Amino acid sequence: MTHGSAVRNAWAPAVATGWTVTVVKSAATEPGTPPDYAAMDDAALVTAAIDGRREAFDAIVERHRRIVYQVCYRFVSNHEDASDLSQESFVRAWRGLKTFKGQSALSTWLYRIAVNVCLNRVSAKTLPSDPIESTDHFEDTRIEGAQSALIREERAVTVRKAIAALPKKQRATLILRTYHELSHQQIADILGSSVGATKANFFHALANLKKLLGNEP
Amino acid sequence: MTHLTSDELIDAIEGLLDTARLQHLDSCEACRQQVTGLGSVLNEARAVAVPEPSPLFWAHLSQRVRAAIDAEPQAAGGWREWVRWPVLAPMAALSLMVMALAVAVPRQQPLVSAPLATNTVPADGTHRDEGFAVVADLVGDMDWDTAMSAGLSIAPGAADRAMLELTAAEQQELTRLLKAELTRTKS
Repeated sequence: MTHGSAVRNAWAPAVATGWTVTVVKSAATEPGTPPDYAAMDDAALVTAAIDGRREAFDAIVERHRRIVYQVCYRFVSNHEDASDLSQESFVRAWRGLKTFKGQSALSTWLYRIAVNVCLNRVSAKTLPSDPIESTDHFEDTRIEGAQSALIREERAVTVRKAIAALPKKQRATLILRTYHELSHQQIADILGSSVGATKANFFHALANLKKLLGNEP
Repeated sequence: MTHLTSDELIDAIEGLLDTARLQHLDSCEACRQQVTGLGSVLNEARAVAVPEPSPLFWAHLSQRVRAAIDAEPQAAGGWREWVRWPVLAPMAALSLMVMALAVAVPRQQPLVSAPLATNTVPADGTHRDEGFAVVADLVGDMDWDTAMSAGLSIAPGAADRAMLELTAAEQQELTRLLKAELTRTKS
């Protein structure tokens, strides 16, 4: 008797009564077969990684590397530094994994680590008093579509620079609220402040950004 | 009625302002201008995406993280990491060594000497401990291959960690004994 027919026979009484039986391969594996880490949820991956299974942590990195990189990129506005900061964030996550209690989502915990890494590493910059000028001007005006795309990209560079010039807490608040859609409460938890302070930071971030972009009346 | 506070301006651009304050907003040109200005800068910021890195970058980042963690001392295992043969075996061996040292090393004699007992420590400073003798008899003939095949391998860094568990006095004594052993082997 094959394994498949044995399974069918075992479920035959249930099928005969009109049930629909769906067999789903469990994430828990049979002895001898490597676990399917990609199929595990975050909590199971954390437990496995704490147990010393490095592949589980690799899966955590693979699952969350994009959001961590994006947070870091928003802070520093360049790929090289964002890449270094992302690496540092995951190394810190590995070091502190056993302190993760699962009270918040793993992604929120990783946001917190990434933001702290960025806040510690990014030097406090003095807010420029003058609007930030666009630095790259493109001469090619032959194709209108391409030109408008270039203008958009030029403006995007200016906005990124303006965000990178904001004071650190304002920058963190703006990034988490605008791009990662975290609630004010979540941001307050990450930054160790109150909801009121978070809203005030967000307000000042937008007001400063408006000034830096030259949108002041 | 007072103008909107910074909190309320944020609530307004997020569409969360309460009805009473909305009435003020409808009637106050200054507040409306502020909300419009902040809303427009927020929309402009929202439109700016992070440039997508090369598709190869993600795998490269994972590799970098793995390499950086490999270079770290083991941290995530917690107490479970210690309850494994590759760790316990060298720990046990070291503990036995320390016990043997504690028994074998002659203790400093008190200034006022007590009357000599009849069964004193032998002249070479050692005496037989029964527990140590049993362990020594059990493992005395075991060769390296047998120990390895029984899973009694030493994990990298385990001996270092075990050394860190010793007190300063024990570390000094171990150093002294190892030096003495090296000198004896050379001669």
